[in-house]
Amino acid sequence: MSSFGSVAWSSVGKKVITGLTGFMLIGFVAVHLLGNLTLFIGPHAFNGYAHFLETAVHGWLIYAFEVGLIVIFAFHVVAAVTVAVADKMAARKQGYKYARNAGGRSRKTLASRSMIISGAVLAFFVIAHIFLFKFADHEQTAEGVKNLYKTVVGTFQNSVGFTAFTVVAMVLLGMHLRHGFWSAFQSLGWTNDRWLPILTRAALVISIVLAIGFILLPIWLYLNGDPNAMPGGH
Amino acid sequence: MSDSSAKSGMTIHLKIWRQARSAAQGRFVDYTVSGIQQEMSLLEMLDILNEDLVRKGEEAIEFDSDCREGICGTCGMVVSGVAHGKHAGTTTCEIRMRQYKDGDTITIEPFRAGPFPIIKDLVVGREAFDRIQRKGGFVSTNVGSAPDGNAILVSKLAADDAMDAATCIGCGACVAACPNASASLFVSAKISQLAWLPQGGPERGRRALAMIAQMDAEGFGDCSNHGECEAVCPKQISIQNIAKMRREYVKAAWTGADKSRSSGGD
Amino acid sequence: MTTGNRVLDAKIPGGPLADKWDRHEMENPLVAPGGNRRKLTVIVVGTGLAGGGAAATLGELGYNVLNFCIQDTPRRAHSVAAQGGINAAKNYQNDGDSVQRLFYDTIKGGDYRSREANVYRLAQLSTGIIDQSVAMGVPFAREYGGALSNRSFGGVQVSRTFYARGQTGQQLLLGVYSALVRQIEAGTVKMFPRHEMLDLVVVDGRARGIIARELTTGEIKRFAADAVVLATGGYSPVFYLSTNAVNCNATAIWRAHRRGALFSNPCYTQIHPTAVPQMGDYQSKLTLMSESLRNDGRVWVPKKPGDKRRPNEIPESDRDYYLERRYPAFGNLVPRDIAARAAKVESDLGKSAYFSPQSVYLDFAEAIGRLGKGVVGDRYGNLFDMYREIIGDSPYDTPMMIYPAPHYTMGGLWVDYNLQGTIEGLFVAGEANFSDHGANRLGASALMQGLADGYFVVPRVVASYLANAKASTVKADHDGFKAVEDESRTHIQRLLAIKGKRTVRDMHWELGRTMWDKVGMARNAGGLKEAIAEIGKLRESFWHDLALTGGADDLNKQLEQANRLCDYLELGELMARDALMREESCGGHFREEHQTPEGEALRDDANFAFVSAWEYTGPGREPVMHKEPLAFENVELKTRSYK
Repeated sequence: MSSFGSVAWSSVGKKVITGLTGFMLIGFVAVHLLGNLTLFIGPHAFNGYAHFLETAVHGWLIYAFEVGLIVIFAFHVVAAVTVAVADKMAARKQGYKYARNAGGRSRKTLASRSMIISGAVLAFFVIAHIFLFKFADHEQTAEGVKNLYKTVVGTFQNSVGFTAFTVVAMVLLGMHLRHGFWSAFQSLGWTNDRWLPILTRAALVISIVLAIGFILLPIWLYLNGDPNAMPGGH
Repeated sequence: MSDSSAKSGMTIHLKIWRQARSAAQGRFVDYTVSGIQQEMSLLEMLDILNEDLVRKGEEAIEFDSDCREGICGTCGMVVSGVAHGKHAGTTTCEIRMRQYKDGDTITIEPFRAGPFPIIKDLVVGREAFDRIQRKGGFVSTNVGSAPDGNAILVSKLAADDAMDAATCIGCGACVAACPNASASLFVSAKISQLAWLPQGGPERGRRALAMIAQMDAEGFGDCSNHGECEAVCPKQISIQNIAKMRREYVKAAWTGADKSRSSGGD
Repeated sequence: MTTGNRVLDAKIPGGPLADKWDRHEMENPLVAPGGNRRKLTVIVVGTGLAGGGAAATLGELGYNVLNFCIQDTPRRAHSVAAQGGINAAKNYQNDGDSVQRLFYDTIKGGDYRSREANVYRLAQLSTGIIDQSVAMGVPFAREYGGALSNRSFGGVQVSRTFYARGQTGQQLLLGVYSALVRQIEAGTVKMFPRHEMLDLVVVDGRARGIIARELTTGEIKRFAADAVVLATGGYSPVFYLSTNAVNCNATAIWRAHRRGALFSNPCYTQIHPTAVPQMGDYQSKLTLMSESLRNDGRVWVPKKPGDKRRPNEIPESDRDYYLERRYPAFGNLVPRDIAARAAKVESDLGKSAYFSPQSVYLDFAEAIGRLGKGVVGDRYGNLFDMYREIIGDSPYDTPMMIYPAPHYTMGGLWVDYNLQGTIEGLFVAGEANFSDHGANRLGASALMQGLADGYFVVPRVVASYLANAKASTVKADHDGFKAVEDESRTHIQRLLAIKGKRTVRDMHWELGRTMWDKVGMARNAGGLKEAIAEIGKLRESFWHDLALTGGADDLNKQLEQANRLCDYLELGELMARDALMREESCGGHFREEHQTPEGEALRDDANFAFVSAWEYTGPGREPVMHKEPLAFENVELKTRSYK
């Protein structure tokens, strides 16, 4: 009846792709946050965690993850941009002069309308923080592992601008998930009238928890962090 | 009939979209009507305005309307920025002037979407909906082939869900209100009505694939789950139908148009 | 009045009533499937239950169907607005229902002015309609066990009404529409939305096609066919204000009438008792409040004429529950015609709701006291909300105000048992014909007739006509088409050339007022004669005073309405003439001169047990009436009593 490609890239297919990759990214973000919490514990914990990731399965794990993440990101971005920019513009060439939100049962919010903007800022942030943290010149600790802790804490301590940008990006992450979390369920068809209100409330909780977690870190590090804290000590 | 200007009542300012034909450049034209009674409907106010225009030798404002009680789905305008006006669960023809006060300004625009070309003024073409329906919005049963009505038992809950979806009047407000001009709510209401019922079971896969393919071919936008459609829907059809449509689609894409042996329900 | 002597042969098949349709089907010739059917073209005008059902079914059978509607899509035909339900003699409730009982109830409800054989067939076909609709996925209400649910309706003693919430009409129409789109996709039905039939083309005494105007472009087109089916609904908007949609019109049937199709019983109009009262001269239509409200609401007026107190200030002792008083056996649940007329009687005495002299109360206080607000809200909540939006009062707190409103027209083009009019090859189905409801239609029977005609009768009778007639050689380039097309075009141009000062709505309003006051719920000879004179005068003024703007070459709804009003201005007069001729009271036709001392309808079976069938004799000339006598062989004529 129709080719796999046309089915997968149909209006519904694109939503399914966005939703599935969205779920994966939410999972990644949650794990990432848990890992980052080791920063609160100290350099030893954080560097150890980083070292584990880089060396597990002879270093293949991280590569596999990185390739996987790039693919997931790519699908998420291309599908979402097609839905929210290209197809949207094609479907209504002449817009309304006066348009208001309908309110009531609508789920249209600042968050839902700014998915593309929040997504774009996040994408920029992801790239920036990879450059700043992953591809920086790292010192070695006494144990001979990469002192990523010093790089991260130093970056925040030395740059009010980057710290502020991180906070802004994480607020946008919260907004992105505020709509994206329940929306992913809806896009995959895993909702009904009973679950919709539960999922939208869960989205609110999850987006706040993740956003606060990610916001506290840079602020705390900026105010209290000591890039030269001795690994192993506290 | 008495002259409307002689009566007491509200004075209302209108900004109405006028467009001579599809290809022409449209624009807003300002009108002021007086003597408007609270009990009047918005469309009756436009009737009066049109009479005034005709008496002055000007062309009347074209707008679609028929039953004027919210069931035929003919009327549809964006009234002060919201499809079918700000009251939930009503059509344009059900808007009463008691929602407004003396001196208010109301803007009236046609439903705007690429697949809904403007024919004239506030009248748009919605044949795209018919073309989508043609691809599968039916149960293939010829007259004469039906078993006894009670030979097909349907759980009351499934029947109620099907009825909720079936209340769609095909007005197109969902498309008009959607920031992406998506027809997902309309199409999903049709697909899920028949997916809830055992009668729709045998064709559910091909129905979902074909109707969605046609929806896309018509040039409607994709859904971003804003839910504006549900908020403006005069029959308050839930976006749970969109979720169900997606399940139907994924299942059909997975098993093939006709491989599903399921016979309805979920 | 001139009475003609044309013999109207209803072609009723012989044999016992119960066997007539089966015998008829067996005796009728068929067209073999395949190429033979594809070569035969059938025009169907209208896409409601009758028209859409017929078009889809003829398409399924393999005929080449051209289907027309004035709406932007076939799914919006006015059948969509029916609320309550559809009757069928299924006897699922085991309460003694049967084909025979549905037949009897319909004949009695129609006040013994319908044709037995047609009504019996309707009752027989009713059960198949439910089966077919269920198979198509129409979501009828169901019980927890999964079986179909029924409600009682319209004063009959069994529960035979199937329903889909308050929108049975829409759901059945969507069933028809789904069958129709399937045939459109299959290529058997070609759909022409936003096309209005302007005239019927008759060549050598046979209907050979139609002239239609595409409403968006103004283009006037010819369509040729082997048979023409009109299923264009009723003519209630002749009253201007009615519960019908604003675009409902009689143009198709009236133009066919002018081409020779006889028009039957035009004066039989149904005035529905429970609509929101008229409010002002700006109004475009009257909103129906479902008949079901009378199950729990009590109808009353103040005892004292001119009592303008608010309803809650009027004590019980000053209220007259007139339906309960006059009809103790049926109370508030008397049939539509009786309830409607009783409201008029009271308001004519100056007893009315405070709102206007034409309004009475429908009070739910007793029901709310008995059942609680919650239960009443569950039953009628959305109607109450709709009412509050219009009037501004909540029926939970203060009695609803209602008044009768034109709703349905039993009259229509004369048809024989085969639904064929007096022009060969012209078939008429649904509300557009006169055949099944006599002088009054029972609730939930209009949908039944529409689908019986559309799914079952038309496909059969048109097929046998085509089997006999052979393929038409008259194509759209025939001179007959050119002449009619020219006339249609001239007519449109004439309307635009009047350049007067009065709007269409203004003149339609005036016609409506005459019709309502003098040809409405109660009629008398003096009033009817005045109405004929007034309508004649208005018709003349129409051709001098009409103001139209815009052109004929694009969408121009004022022009469409003017074109329809021309026909209403002639039809209105015929209604008055028919009412004047019918010196009796029956069903929806009440002549004040013919009533019992208690004010009930007084039928005259000796002189008026016939169908009137009017012949058009030219513009401005008196029509000629022919008669089809009604023979009652299976039911005994009785006086209806609901006391």
